[in-house]
Amino acid sequence: MLMTNLKILAVVLGTVTLYTVLASAIPQVESEVPQELDLGADVSTEELVAAGEELYQGAGGCVACHGLGTRAPNLLADEAGTGQIGARCGTREPGKDCKTYLHEALVQPMEYIVEGYEPIMPDMSRTLSPTQIWAMVAYLESLGGTATVTAADIGGGEGGAAGAEGPAGAGGGAPPAGGGALAAGSTDPMDIWRAGGCGACHQLDGEGGPIGPALDDIGATRDRDYIRRAILDPGADIAEGYEQVGGVMPPTFGGSLTAAQLEALVDMLAGEG
Amino acid sequence: MKRRAGEWRGWAALVGALALVVVGAVLAEPAWAQAAAPAGREYGDFPVVGGRVAVWVSAQLHLMFAAFVLGVPMFAVVAEAIGMFGGEKRYDKLAKEFTRLLLIAYSATAIWGAILSFALVIIYPRFWTHMVEIFEVSVWIYVGLFFLESFTLYLYYYGWDRWSAGTSKYVHWGLGILLNVFGTAVMFIADSWLSYMMSPAEGVTVDTPASAIDTWVAITNATWMPINIHRILANVVFGGAIVGAYAAYRFLTARTDEERAHYDWMGYVGNSIAIGALIVLPFAGYYLGREIYEYNQQMGITMMGGFMSWLWIIQAFLIGVLFLAGNYYLWVGMQRIPGAERFTPYTKWMLLVLVIGVIVWATPHTMIASRAELAAMGGSHHPFLGVLGVMSAKNTAVNLMILTTFLSFLLYRRANKDPVVPWARTGTMVQGLMFLVASIVVLFYGIYGYYVPAVQRIGFSVYQVLAVLITIVVVVAIDVAMGRGAQSRGAIRWGQMPPRSQYALFVLAVTFTWLMGLMGFARSGIRQHWHIWEVMRDTSEWAATPALGYAAQVITACVLIFLGLIGFIFWLGGLVEKPIIADVRADAKAAAYGGPDLDPVPAE
Repeated sequence: MLMTNLKILAVVLGTVTLYTVLASAIPQVESEVPQELDLGADVSTEELVAAGEELYQGAGGCVACHGLGTRAPNLLADEAGTGQIGARCGTREPGKDCKTYLHEALVQPMEYIVEGYEPIMPDMSRTLSPTQIWAMVAYLESLGGTATVTAADIGGGEGGAAGAEGPAGAGGGAPPAGGGALAAGSTDPMDIWRAGGCGACHQLDGEGGPIGPALDDIGATRDRDYIRRAILDPGADIAEGYEQVGGVMPPTFGGSLTAAQLEALVDMLAGEG
Repeated sequence: MKRRAGEWRGWAALVGALALVVVGAVLAEPAWAQAAAPAGREYGDFPVVGGRVAVWVSAQLHLMFAAFVLGVPMFAVVAEAIGMFGGEKRYDKLAKEFTRLLLIAYSATAIWGAILSFALVIIYPRFWTHMVEIFEVSVWIYVGLFFLESFTLYLYYYGWDRWSAGTSKYVHWGLGILLNVFGTAVMFIADSWLSYMMSPAEGVTVDTPASAIDTWVAITNATWMPINIHRILANVVFGGAIVGAYAAYRFLTARTDEERAHYDWMGYVGNSIAIGALIVLPFAGYYLGREIYEYNQQMGITMMGGFMSWLWIIQAFLIGVLFLAGNYYLWVGMQRIPGAERFTPYTKWMLLVLVIGVIVWATPHTMIASRAELAAMGGSHHPFLGVLGVMSAKNTAVNLMILTTFLSFLLYRRANKDPVVPWARTGTMVQGLMFLVASIVVLFYGIYGYYVPAVQRIGFSVYQVLAVLITIVVVVAIDVAMGRGAQSRGAIRWGQMPPRSQYALFVLAVTFTWLMGLMGFARSGIRQHWHIWEVMRDTSEWAATPALGYAAQVITACVLIFLGLIGFIFWLGGLVEKPIIADVRADAKAAAYGGPDLDPVPAE
């Protein structure tokens, strides 16, 4: 009886030990967390390149597709005779220099899917900060080309607006609690829409979240005064069927929008429908 | 004595259930939950191992026990039905013995559920608050169903002898079905919580307040149903394997021939259930994987080609062990079947196919690699293994392994039978032809896949799977028809099984348990540093998803704790089993164990 029990114990322990040793013997890859970059206002291009390479190989998760050259274009090596990404990025889109193209390809990847590949690239602004994205651009430029990203591109740093050539409000997010204009004061209503995070709850032109009322035809059923009041005092009139999410929309836009921005947004929405 | 011990277990289960209910009910109250998550405190801690490991271990152990108590009722009800409608009392006894194991493990499931709840609310209060806000209603329904499941189980087990004949037997069987319905519903609700963490609805972002998320939309998320289906099958596999190991232990420690015969038969049934369900489990796995890709390509790539790519090599090795151990058990078992010796020469060829299949399946291909590793390989793939490790080859290997395992079962079934139907020779030829055609289809598409683009190649796996499934269904149908009235070459000599065969059952149970832990890590790990994918970021010190070596240590710890506890629980159950065994012995003498459930030949 004792021997039987010992044999069973040996079989059990031997089996789990084998699996544990095997799993420990293969290459150990950890999924890293993208760390905030604090590069300072006088960060050099070389520092950005180094930070970008670290992200590319690690937390950015880029090598899962771009390192293999089967799921996505190979960026590290030659791609169909066009060279590394730094050598070919300046000619990918007419009228766009390498830096602009790479930045837009990272935050709006669906617009730049290379022919022959599946549209699987995620919007990197959902996982990386603006500074991290600029660091990535610098690294990619440096592969077969010259990195041109500077501290000036990053602008206000981690929490600031996107750089001069990047899309405004790439980082998305909730509107500021008060003070300071959204989208760096831009009066482009779509900049304001994105920077204010409106699309997280409202649908416009077929895109956006399902939480609040769709605004595709808001102009056909509501006048400008109603729209303005709804932006400044969202709790004043809760749309029918959305009572349970009343109070979700922040009542802080009066403090975060300039008068010109508010009117630009009202104009745009009143024109819907 | 029996009744007193039964009451003790019942009370233990009830206390565990009540603990879970109290925790669930109290924590489902958002005001309390908010109080548990005061501003500024997002994470708690746990001594020595840290918060993440504490939650990981408690969740994994809860899942292991839950899988057992959800899987076993499924085949207990089937066994009871065979006993009722087939007139073989020993199946009824077997079903009761299954249920007795279930009853004992039930309280452990509830206790680990309560531990998990406490761990979550203390260690991840911010996450807990978010989940409660969305799923509050479903928690209450879960509590209600858990009560119903608990008391249905008590009625089912304790009413077994009272409702054993006539109409009341049908009512009892109905209770078993009801037990499965409640248990499955409980699992579906819990699955909605964890699948929401993987695949929240489109449009829900980090800025979306939990109060704005519709509960039903959160429940019916993209991976909910695939996980439900995968878990139902996996629970059956797991339950069968644990029952097999239990029977193996009882076999090895048996003191009489009758006992040994009974547990030999029980081990065979457990193994048949586990391997039978395992054969179809990969199809459910493909469905889940496809839905993950459909939901989010990035998540799918992380799972299969990202930092988890090496995990699937380990998985292939484990499944290879399962196929080899399962077949080995059958081949050894054939030594106690008169007439099986005529099939012995085929064994070495089946072993060869299985070994080659495992090697091909476990060949690395699309592995995440650094720039230095890419340079060392001279490209994105290994110059030699890059050709061998593609999905065309792997799908071919897996399908041929499934066909081979099915052939082992078929030979086992046929071992002591000589069909007497006039079309027996034709039937056997058709069966052989089906195997041949299926193998050719699998091989053809496996080779052809090398010459077509990846998009087209992926579709070929459907043809391969269909060829195998159709063969299994048609061959079984022919075999059942052909076996009617078959002449027996002699009864299976239950109990005359070499001890090494029983150790194969232990390897199966340990491997299934370890595999379950590995797949739990895969499913949870693909969220990476998100508690809820792209909705709630993990900002704790444990946010980075660990490498496989570390995960393997945690999985091993979970497996050993689970096996230790289930062994203890079964030992407790053994203290009061003697009356059941006495019944079984009496039946064994009468029936002499004429054959397993897959064997329609009556006893001699």
